[in-house]
Amino acid sequence: MNVIEAAGLGKRYRRSWALRDASLAVPAGHVVALVGPNGAGKTTLLHLAVGLTAPTAGRVTVLGGVVPGTPAALDQIAFVAQDAPLYRNLSVADMLHLTRNLNRRWDQRRAEARLAELAIPLRRKVGRLSGGQQAQLALTLALARRPALLVLDEPLSSLDPLARHDFMASVMAAVAEDGVSVVLSSHVLADLERVADYLILLSAGQVQVAGEVDDLLAGHRMLAGPAEAAGDVAERLAVVHVHRAGALAHLLVRSNGAAEPAPSGWESSPVGLEELVLAYLREPGAAALPGPLVPAGRCAGVTS
Amino acid sequence: MTALAPAVAQPRRPVPWRRLAWVTWRQHRAALAGTAALLGGLAGYLLVEGLIVRHAYAGVTSCRPARSAGCQAVAGMFNDDYYGTAQTLSGILQVVPVLIGVFAGAPLLARELESGTFRFAWTQGCGRLRWVIAKLLPLAVTVAAAAGAFSLLFSWYYQPFFAEHADGALAPQLFGLRGVAFAAWTLAAFAIGAFAGVVIKRTVAAMAASMAVWAGLDLVTVLFARGHYQAPLVVSGANPGYGNNWVVGQWFTGPGGVPVDQTAVRNLVQHAPPSVQDSANPNAVLAWLAQRHYTQWWTYQPHGRFWPFQLIEGGWLLALSVLLLAATVWLVRRRAA
Repeated sequence: MNVIEAAGLGKRYRRSWALRDASLAVPAGHVVALVGPNGAGKTTLLHLAVGLTAPTAGRVTVLGGVVPGTPAALDQIAFVAQDAPLYRNLSVADMLHLTRNLNRRWDQRRAEARLAELAIPLRRKVGRLSGGQQAQLALTLALARRPALLVLDEPLSSLDPLARHDFMASVMAAVAEDGVSVVLSSHVLADLERVADYLILLSAGQVQVAGEVDDLLAGHRMLAGPAEAAGDVAERLAVVHVHRAGALAHLLVRSNGAAEPAPSGWESSPVGLEELVLAYLREPGAAALPGPLVPAGRCAGVTS
Repeated sequence: MTALAPAVAQPRRPVPWRRLAWVTWRQHRAALAGTAALLGGLAGYLLVEGLIVRHAYAGVTSCRPARSAGCQAVAGMFNDDYYGTAQTLSGILQVVPVLIGVFAGAPLLARELESGTFRFAWTQGCGRLRWVIAKLLPLAVTVAAAAGAFSLLFSWYYQPFFAEHADGALAPQLFGLRGVAFAAWTLAAFAIGAFAGVVIKRTVAAMAASMAVWAGLDLVTVLFARGHYQAPLVVSGANPGYGNNWVVGQWFTGPGGVPVDQTAVRNLVQHAPPSVQDSANPNAVLAWLAQRHYTQWWTYQPHGRFWPFQLIEGGWLLALSVLLLAATVWLVRRRAA
């Protein structure tokens, strides 16, 4: 089952398209990192998935074919919007009570246990909690709804490093505890690298890369060799990106696994997730989507 | 794969209204408390002042013989003592509906949209449709009911002044405070506020805009609409306003029944003999004009039309409010984040 499935999905705000012709399938049981530069359409995609926005073009379904925003979808998807908006003038206890009254599914004990664990006082006003505590409270409210899918929009952007770590630890604990599927967005990949096992790279309103992190890493290699021979290699292999530094060139190529021998004179090494994402971000024309490999000899840009 | 419950197998029983109403209460109890404090304070004052007025008025009604100069003096003293306060009070109360309506109505959705909390609220299990209805309906009914109860108290307070024929029931400064009008204008202010909030999405701007719209609507109603709810009656001669009717227009006709403008009449009166111009009798000028076949005509709404007019005004305000609230719900449903 796919927790999010989109076909030709597009959203236009007045004149400009925030998201265009996006087709993707996010399988269940993953922690999905939705990354992309600012303005790539991440928030728009998430808002479409949680039913806050209606698509201009195409269609999106969640949890195996449910239309976002319908009772069935709302029931099973918990969403924490950017900056974790909550009612600042309410106490934490009131916030729990309020969320409980807005939902059919609610686990009060879980919520209270989590807050006790985090040492967030129930009597304190939400507005007087630290940024990290507010984010944790928003996550607690989301998890107490026992969702099948947890959607987090830039959950870490306003948190300090320690709060980021604690927040992600909470998310991972929930994944381990009840196997909730998670989609979280960030423009900083480093935040998600350790936790995500599925990557969707969105750039300029288009899905550029989508796949399981392990598959993506196994399917790419970094080749290092003489710069003047880079063109020859590009003729034969699916080169995503060429980086030249003097006489040396680094090529990110798609491959069918490490077993494939490197061209003579070239040294092959595995690629890191961050390198991979940066390479694709620098090549808006390149794409790595589920399906057959792109044919060899395709154009690749060059940076130096 | 996670253990996902199939969506179709979910229970279809929605979140109960009672629980959503608690959310509304918890979030807006400050606004409701403010309304209660404002109306309660004013009501307390009206109650005390009303008892004093009634006590004093008992002295007027028990005066015998009723038409004697002595009793007229007693009545005059009653008016001197209490009528000024009553007028000031009714002046102040004109703004109460818009205060309640706008303070309770405009921030209702504007604050959620302004602060981004709508993204929290609209993604909860109950769905935004039930959420917004559970906010609008109880609050609208509450503010309208509170205003209605308050205007009953005001009518009670003001009763002696009507009995003394100090004012007509249709007098603009009183019409909106009595009957169903006070509640209807409060409801309209609430609906305008809620609608402005979802359109403008800024709390302060929505409050300012809805106050302006409400005041404009009130002004247009009093000046141009209310006098035409039913065709006004036409009478010549004595001013029907003295019978507590609501005069909406007057003009003169000259000899042969031709309408003449006010300037011509004024010029004519200036040429009246001094005995007429200086007469102590206020009707002397009119009598003199009548001898010259000049007739004064009046259009007026008889005071007996109070309830039909109340129902007409209450009716269209209710329709307007329902329309605005429905539009607000529709906008919330359709609005993209």
